[in-house]
Amino acid sequence: MCYINKYNLVVRFGNKDLAKYPFLKEAFSYIAKYDFKLEDLNSRDYLHLIDKANEKIEQYLFFGRYEYQINYSKTHETIVQEEVIIFLISLLLVKSISIEAVTKKFALLESMRFEKYLISDLNTANRDDKTIKMILYKIFEDLFSTKILLEENVYNFYKIRINDYLDHPIAFQEKEWNLVNRTLHNGFVYLDGNEIVRLFRNELYLLIIDRIKKMSIDRIPDTIMGISKSIKTRWEQMHPSFNTPVYKAATPPCIQHIYDQISKGENLPHPARLLLGTFLIYSNKTMEEMLELFKRLPDFDEKITRYQLEHLAGKKGGSKRYYVPSCEKIKLENLCYETKICQGISNPIQLVRKKLDI
Amino acid sequence: MSDALSFNSNEPIKKGQYTSKYQNAEPDDKNKNWLEGIYRRYYFYHYSQLEVGELINEHEFGFKLFDGKIHRHLAFEDKKELYAYIIKFSPSDIFYSSSRYQNPKAEIDQKGWMGSDLIFDIDGKDLHLECAQSHNLVLCKDCSFISKGIISKCEGCDSTRLQIIDIPCTRCIQSLNVEVKKLIEILHDDFGIDKESIFIYFSGNNGYHIHVVDKNFYGVSAKKRNAFAQYLMGKGYLIENLGIRKNTEGVLFPVHNKVLYNQGWRKRIFDSMHLPIQNHRIDDKFIKKYNRMLVANSNNIQDIIGTHIFDLSAKIDPNVTMDIHRIFRLAGSINSKSGLIKAFCKDLDSFDPFVDACFIGDSNVEIESKLNIKISLKGKQFSIKTGKNTLPEYVAAYVICKGIGDIME
Repeated sequence: MCYINKYNLVVRFGNKDLAKYPFLKEAFSYIAKYDFKLEDLNSRDYLHLIDKANEKIEQYLFFGRYEYQINYSKTHETIVQEEVIIFLISLLLVKSISIEAVTKKFALLESMRFEKYLISDLNTANRDDKTIKMILYKIFEDLFSTKILLEENVYNFYKIRINDYLDHPIAFQEKEWNLVNRTLHNGFVYLDGNEIVRLFRNELYLLIIDRIKKMSIDRIPDTIMGISKSIKTRWEQMHPSFNTPVYKAATPPCIQHIYDQISKGENLPHPARLLLGTFLIYSNKTMEEMLELFKRLPDFDEKITRYQLEHLAGKKGGSKRYYVPSCEKIKLENLCYETKICQGISNPIQLVRKKLDI
Repeated sequence: MSDALSFNSNEPIKKGQYTSKYQNAEPDDKNKNWLEGIYRRYYFYHYSQLEVGELINEHEFGFKLFDGKIHRHLAFEDKKELYAYIIKFSPSDIFYSSSRYQNPKAEIDQKGWMGSDLIFDIDGKDLHLECAQSHNLVLCKDCSFISKGIISKCEGCDSTRLQIIDIPCTRCIQSLNVEVKKLIEILHDDFGIDKESIFIYFSGNNGYHIHVVDKNFYGVSAKKRNAFAQYLMGKGYLIENLGIRKNTEGVLFPVHNKVLYNQGWRKRIFDSMHLPIQNHRIDDKFIKKYNRMLVANSNNIQDIIGTHIFDLSAKIDPNVTMDIHRIFRLAGSINSKSGLIKAFCKDLDSFDPFVDACFIGDSNVEIESKLNIKISLKGKQFSIKTGKNTLPEYVAAYVICKGIGDIME
């Protein structure tokens, strides 16, 4: 049990809530009190939990899904205990796989799963449901050092001090999250339930990566090592070493930077995907060649990607073909990595034309 | 610098004496020599006008001397030391960091930044006012010919190396006041800054410096300050924030029943466009009014919204706000572009820069004007004719600082 002192109230942190947020310190201490040791994972008693973690990771890595379900059919205590252990096993598995792109893909999808829980909790809590809100405030304050407040008078808007808001990298990365596109009033940035959780997605993602990095590989039980080897082999078969798909000399630096990000397993913001998609279409790449590249993104979904690429090519939706954005637009989106070869060009495709002597 | 403390402090300068002892201007430049003396006298009698805080030793100072040289990274232990330096060197311009440093004399990266007030600069030339076309002057850098109005080529020699000479009028100041008030409203309503924490200064020429003294913003990084500046200018504002989406024909339509917290830029834009939003929701009344506006403007609502954003935006210089190591003209010091001082405006509506920022003496001197011009200072109108004129020192200083006249020996 965990008690939170806030506004002179004592809030009881229910077991069920801890099951949804196994990354919390309180959750970890919960298994510690049962004298749980990592070596215990070699025992048959934990096989069903290892299987569940394995299944979750395989779903994440090979199908890009995060449809994980918490099993609520047991006692509250067991639910929490199991969820915390599954989370721990997942981290151990990813750690022992030791592939940066895998770590990033896992962290992204796992953070999206937690994000889904947070959205649901924030949206379902009614105005008087102080308990759930205080738990969420506690999560945000402890993990991300951000104090969120509820605007009592106007629907269920949340507010964060302007200075705290700007501590989150997303405020500088994406246009719609720039300060100018936020609602400011009286020193606060106003956000709805969905927005406030999206703001923290990046932090959740970084937190999970940090937890994995800090784990010691010497302590990983043999059972885990065995499973991680098989996941690693499957991943490597699916993702042979990355080759830049166009002539390197003719690759505009902005596109090269995107390739570099993909090879590191990083996720791409929307404008970068649009730039890459339109550039590949311009370069006459086949759909399969393009998908081969996009599938390395941690949140890859073949159906959506295929549709979007067809849309960019003018084969879906309003049948309008999208062209490669101009250098000016690329600069505005913070995607420009200009070098000497860019002198005198106003669109990255001019570099390809130059090289191919078109 | 402590040796300077004795200079003049026990020995008041007598009229006529102040030009001879410490000459920093070029010996053959009679204008600069004369101004240097005038400035020295001002600082000798009005040093208390200089606005420096108690923690003077934590600020960086910079000076531009009449020889054209700029000295930065200077610091003073106390006010006396500073006053002595100023009276000794009689600088053409005095600058002071808003930032406080552990070591203000060090190079930028070694200074140990401790924090800075938020500062905004509104410059008349950035407002592109219509009246400026009629009263501003243009100096040709090649033949020194001065033309009236805004031109792209010298009327004397066809050169394009031109320099604009601002001669702000009362309308310019009124327009600047409107901009200052707009900025203050946004700082107050959106950023929650108390009006008592906002200090307005006339820059001494054709603009205002607005200082925000608020501990919540004192330690804010340059990156965050830039975000503030972009917000105030409305730069990059997305129309989707107004609950408006493009339909398949590319026409912008409001989303019915969309809940939007009606504050900040959104409120400002809706109010300015007279679009009624009740209970933070886009309702039928809103849509009706919007559609009427759409029809009246041939579906081109984007440009209309863009114009409203432009009109509502604060016309600040973002580089000034984000630069935490910038040194600013010291309040109470003379601006060499005009001979007026950077002055605190207690009440913007009653402040008249041509009276309240004019501190130079009124003994008569002779100047040779390069053109006919009317100037209003200290509540008096002066019709200056080309050639010899006898004028009070404060008018002569203005004319010489503007480069449109010379002091006569």
